Amino acid sequence: MLKTHPTPARGPVGESVARLDGQEKVTGAAQFADDIQFGPGLLHARILRSPHAHALIKRIDASRALALPGVRAVVTGEQTPGYIGLYLQDRHIFCRDRVRYIGDPVAGVAAVDEQTAEKALDLIEVEYEPLPAVFDPVAGTRPDAPLLHPDLGQYEAVNFIFPKPNTNISNHFKIRRGDVAGAWAQCAAVVEREYRVPHIQHVPIEPHVAVAKWDEKGKITLWASSQSPFAQRNLIAKALHISQSQIQVVAPYVGGGFGAKAGVSMEALAVVIAGAVKGRPVKLRLTREEEFFTTFVRQGLVARFKLGCDTEGRLLALENTYYWDAGAYTEYGVNMTRAGGYSGTGPYDVPNVSVDSICVYTNHPVGGPMRGFGMPELHAGLEQAMDDLARSIQLDPVEFRRRNCIRGGDTVATGMTMHPTGLPDCIEQAAAAINWGHKAPPSAPTKRRGKGFAIMWKAPAMPPNAGSSARVQFNEDATVTVSVGGQEIGQGTFTVMAQMAAAALGVPYEWVKVAGPVDTDYSPYEWQTVASRLTWSMGNAVKAAALDARRQVLEMVAQAWKENPDDLDIVNGQVISYKTEEARSLKDIVIYGLPNPDGDGWIGGPVLGRGSFMPTYVTGLDAETGQGPRAVVHYTTGAQAVEVEVDLETGKVEVLRGVAAFDVGKAINPEMVKAQMEGGLVQGISTAFFEGLKLKDGRVQNPSFVDYRIATAADAPPQVEAIIVEVAQDDGPWGARGIGEHSMVPTLPAIANAIYDAVGIRMDAPPFSAEKVFMAMRQAGVVQ
Amino acid sequence: MVTAHPGLPEFDYVKPASLAEASRFLAEHAGAARAFMGGTDIFVRLRDGAWQAQYLVDVKHLEGMQALSFDPAAGLTIGAAVNLNRINAAPSVREHYPVLAEAAGTVASYQLRTRATLAGNVCNASPAGDTLAACLVLAGQVSVHGLAGPRQVALKDFFRGPGKTALQPGDVVTALRFPLPPAGYAAKYLKLGRNTLGDLAIVGVAALGYREAAAAAGLRFRVGLASVAPTPLLLEPAALSAGPVDEAALTAAAEAVAAAAAPIDDVRGSAEYRRLMVRNLARQALTEVWRKIAA
Amino acid sequence: MSLHHITLTINGAVERATVPANLTLLQLLRETLALTGTKNGCAAGECGACTVLLALPGAERGEPVNSCMVLAVECDGAAVVTVEGLAHDHQLDPVQQALLEAGGVQCGFCTPGVLISARALLDRNPRPSEAEIREALVGNLCRCTGYLRIIAGIQAAAQLGAPAGPAA
Ligand SMILES: Cc1cc2nc3c(=O)[nH]c(=O)nc-3n(C[C@H](O)[C@H](O)[C@H](O)COP(=O)(O)OP(=O)(O)OC[C@H]3O[C@@H](n4cnc5c(N)ncnc54)[C@H](O)[C@@H]3O)c2cc1C
Ligand code: FES
Ligand code: FES
Repeated sequence: MLKTHPTPARGPVGESVARLDGQEKVTGAAQFADDIQFGPGLLHARILRSPHAHALIKRIDASRALALPGVRAVVTGEQTPGYIGLYLQDRHIFCRDRVRYIGDPVAGVAAVDEQTAEKALDLIEVEYEPLPAVFDPVAGTRPDAPLLHPDLGQYEAVNFIFPKPNTNISNHFKIRRGDVAGAWAQCAAVVEREYRVPHIQHVPIEPHVAVAKWDEKGKITLWASSQSPFAQRNLIAKALHISQSQIQVVAPYVGGGFGAKAGVSMEALAVVIAGAVKGRPVKLRLTREEEFFTTFVRQGLVARFKLGCDTEGRLLALENTYYWDAGAYTEYGVNMTRAGGYSGTGPYDVPNVSVDSICVYTNHPVGGPMRGFGMPELHAGLEQAMDDLARSIQLDPVEFRRRNCIRGGDTVATGMTMHPTGLPDCIEQAAAAINWGHKAPPSAPTKRRGKGFAIMWKAPAMPPNAGSSARVQFNEDATVTVSVGGQEIGQGTFTVMAQMAAAALGVPYEWVKVAGPVDTDYSPYEWQTVASRLTWSMGNAVKAAALDARRQVLEMVAQAWKENPDDLDIVNGQVISYKTEEARSLKDIVIYGLPNPDGDGWIGGPVLGRGSFMPTYVTGLDAETGQGPRAVVHYTTGAQAVEVEVDLETGKVEVLRGVAAFDVGKAINPEMVKAQMEGGLVQGISTAFFEGLKLKDGRVQNPSFVDYRIATAADAPPQVEAIIVEVAQDDGPWGARGIGEHSMVPTLPAIANAIYDAVGIRMDAPPFSAEKVFMAMRQAGVVQ
Repeated sequence: MVTAHPGLPEFDYVKPASLAEASRFLAEHAGAARAFMGGTDIFVRLRDGAWQAQYLVDVKHLEGMQALSFDPAAGLTIGAAVNLNRINAAPSVREHYPVLAEAAGTVASYQLRTRATLAGNVCNASPAGDTLAACLVLAGQVSVHGLAGPRQVALKDFFRGPGKTALQPGDVVTALRFPLPPAGYAAKYLKLGRNTLGDLAIVGVAALGYREAAAAAGLRFRVGLASVAPTPLLLEPAALSAGPVDEAALTAAAEAVAAAAAPIDDVRGSAEYRRLMVRNLARQALTEVWRKIAA
Repeated sequence: MSLHHITLTINGAVERATVPANLTLLQLLRETLALTGTKNGCAAGECGACTVLLALPGAERGEPVNSCMVLAVECDGAAVVTVEGLAHDHQLDPVQQALLEAGGVQCGFCTPGVLISARALLDRNPRPSEAEIREALVGNLCRCTGYLRIIAGIQAAAQLGAPAGPAA
């Protein structure tokens, strides 16, 4: 059932126009936060970090550091009594009485240069009293586990998060639907599995950087590489007990975010340090090593699956438990565990469901949002278990997914009715493109080939009232400036917004620019650049703003021409009348108005369109059963298939081909949609084969590119095919929904399934390094 | 805990006018001064605080350092400052010592190899150094300028432990020399990293083989190993010199090579996997070399 | 720490600077000269965001280096080309044009280094194979694109031929 839309798709929506930011990015002109020049007055900050995974701070003495020539200030937790956090305020900006992970910020120094600041760090004396620590999420839930946040009961939390005081559990999301216990007896096959997913780093190529400055009146300016200028303003203001309007966040282009630069991670440190040297800008730039363990990381996961189906392969019951290794602070992570809970069945129609998604504090780096927001983690094991279940009744894994995948009109496990979705079509197209069911011979006798398949879903995870707003204004020459608060982080959102504004207004794409950098003093409000929500949510706001501007123009012209606005249109930058065939360029109209047709004076004036959007239809869910009419705005769904070749000599796995098919509702810019699908698939390959923080007693053993490898150009598969499926979204602009995160979600399990297909082995955790694959093959007797 | 700093620590940059001056300076400031080439090892270690140096002594401009020459009678001379891309691209190396070009081309990335040198790789004496196994099977020699003037050290006597070499205070490596390889020889370097390209070696295996009438089998083989012992290893598998060379002998040789390795567990790989990979890669490399020279 | 007076050309313009021994070429470009097109992604030779062309005195043409791994003092007398120096007379270099058209740019942070590696590859090998392109890019990490469109862009640039202006 397709819904039609009031505004028909018209150019340039649906066209693969050139990126708005392309030219400046290939010439080196594009400005990133670290490129902004502050002159010789700039001070540099460095952070003293906890060497202990868990300890009490007994004493800090910074007097020797302060005496070092060139040092301008030292700040500690004494200056930061307030709590900070997005969904749960469980964190001080600088640690006060306790440190909870190796890397926790204990003190900050501002000095004339980085080197002096570094020297000062060595002079700060901190006395710690080490405490027993928690390094495993399952162990962390036990009653005798060391308690990491004794004050959990007092922390402020949003109303859909349920911390359990006096435990390490900061959220527990549950789904109870149908009769799971009774269903097992009816199952022809039941599969039980446990999988682990390690902590993953986002690895934006641009490390975090923030520059802060306080003026004498207490106004704070923060320049940062940021996905969330408004959320940063809000959270930092709350933590410092000041008004939001006292902080201005300026956020130029972001050199890759993937979630790492959402919420607040290190930016507040710069703000607090700058507060001690009012009038001077202070820059804090993380080293690549700090980047690996002191910003957010993807949470680790221990997942237990129990799935059952009947003889036809119809899923009857699912009982999943997710223990999230959420790290030292879970201010953001609590909502990932919620998302992991309500989407915890994966994209399947299952009548009897029990899901427990448990957010556990550990003395590990801080878990936070990362591309997919819990979905890659849970799909990693779920999609392997589904394959196993299919095989256990001799059913082809693709056929199994055909029979069970979620379809429009199905009731999802939270009780919501699924909107129209193209998932079945994605499955067919991906299977056809990979030539499912046919096995090509390997390229050498020492190699084995296999194919793997996986499907996914993901909804934007956010508070129910996350809003977007936009401004569309004309310039004298009728070019258009679109102002938004969402951030260009590489995904192409500025381009897409310009396309939408151009289409809604009726002007050429080339006439539209998007105002940058995003600046909370000038840009309209946007919650955050996360959740793959901009095309949809900010797009709705931009479209509304453009239609508002268009209405103003048409009403003005109608008055001037004494016509009905319904007979007028804007086409290619001209107002035309379908009735009189009169035409006039927007240039003559949009700033100076038009002469009054009935006498002296003018009518109209500068045209300024405004638009905002907030989903008002998301409902709460019952705390005990997870049931409610509408858990989320919508789901983007998709399928991926890969063909791999395993080298029996080394265990090395090569992805020969990847196929991705996603239902994006409407591809506003098809080539950029495909670019997201390709980039996500390669990031998925990277995660599958190379990535994972190696943690030992809370210490990251591989905090550098030397030992945290990511895919290079030589690791990208020879061939990736991206397939766009379009089943329109009723609340999306032109029917569009997001794709940015989704594209990496099914890759890892598809690879795991392909490895199984090739050599018959399953591993209980990625990365599928050559060593892990070889040793598993050896254990299984496949190789010697 | 090694913490990487945002920049390099303070040091003096010294550019001596002659080798003699360089040796004198390095000897006078033993422990405080380091010679450097590309700096690709030094800068990283200074930055993360693993090494300290008061002086960095740049010797790349000194006599002969930039020369790469091949003499059909004497062999190949590679000045210490010749970068790995030049070695990888040099026609004389590609023709007469292709295994060296191959090994040089596996180090890091193209842009890093514009700076990184063979001499630096050798002097750094990391067990994982990618060129070391190839240099060993090619019977390389190190030309050293010390306080007492120039001397030659055979590479097989050069490595003393991880990061430890036969170099003395005041020594500057000026070149690496490779004798003419045995006529009709073949050689192969196989590297296993985590990524397809660009990673450090989990295991590196160089194999070289040639015909020699005096050997029982009529063939001789050498194997060089990287990343599987405190120093790179040079081995002559007995299984291949005693009797006829066939698949069984190659497998036995590979097993023996693996047994000679003394790998450790680290973040890149376990000792057990390394040993198994030495076996598999040695068998692959030896088989490939054998097919070529036996043909 | 020793200080050194150096003279070098950057994108064709002569620059003089007094540099401390430990200043890297990357820091000279970004911090001393405010030429911020060249990026700092790791300062350890791993990511390639800082890649520039460096022609030491006597060299025929610039070769790509990780500018974070070169001391500024070593560049006395050298010629450096950064991403800002690729276009001539407002005419993009073919690699810039082709990368744009292929969709090989997302966040753009790796882009300056990628472009320099690509230019250098085409200078030494005007008709590279796909494998050679991939190999030449191994030192340029990109987290956004998955590389495929970058590779396609360089293949297209090879078709376009040599750039308009002098490189170094
Ligand atoms: C990102 C990155 C990736 C890398 N990947 C690899 C890899 O894949 N494989 C690999 O083998 N290595 C790798 N390395 C290590 C390094 O690049 C190589 O070891 C390189 O060959 C070192 O050469 P260099 O000229 O830069 O040495 P330098 O850093 O200049 O010197 C290295 C050592 O040798 C000494 N030395 C240098 N020249 C002389 C001389 N003339 N006389 C006496 N002593 C001297 C120095 O004092 C120092 O101890 C990598 C390094 C980095 C930064
Ligand atoms: S900044 Fe990463 S290689 Fe130089
Ligand atoms: S485009 Fe973002 S890192 Fe390459």
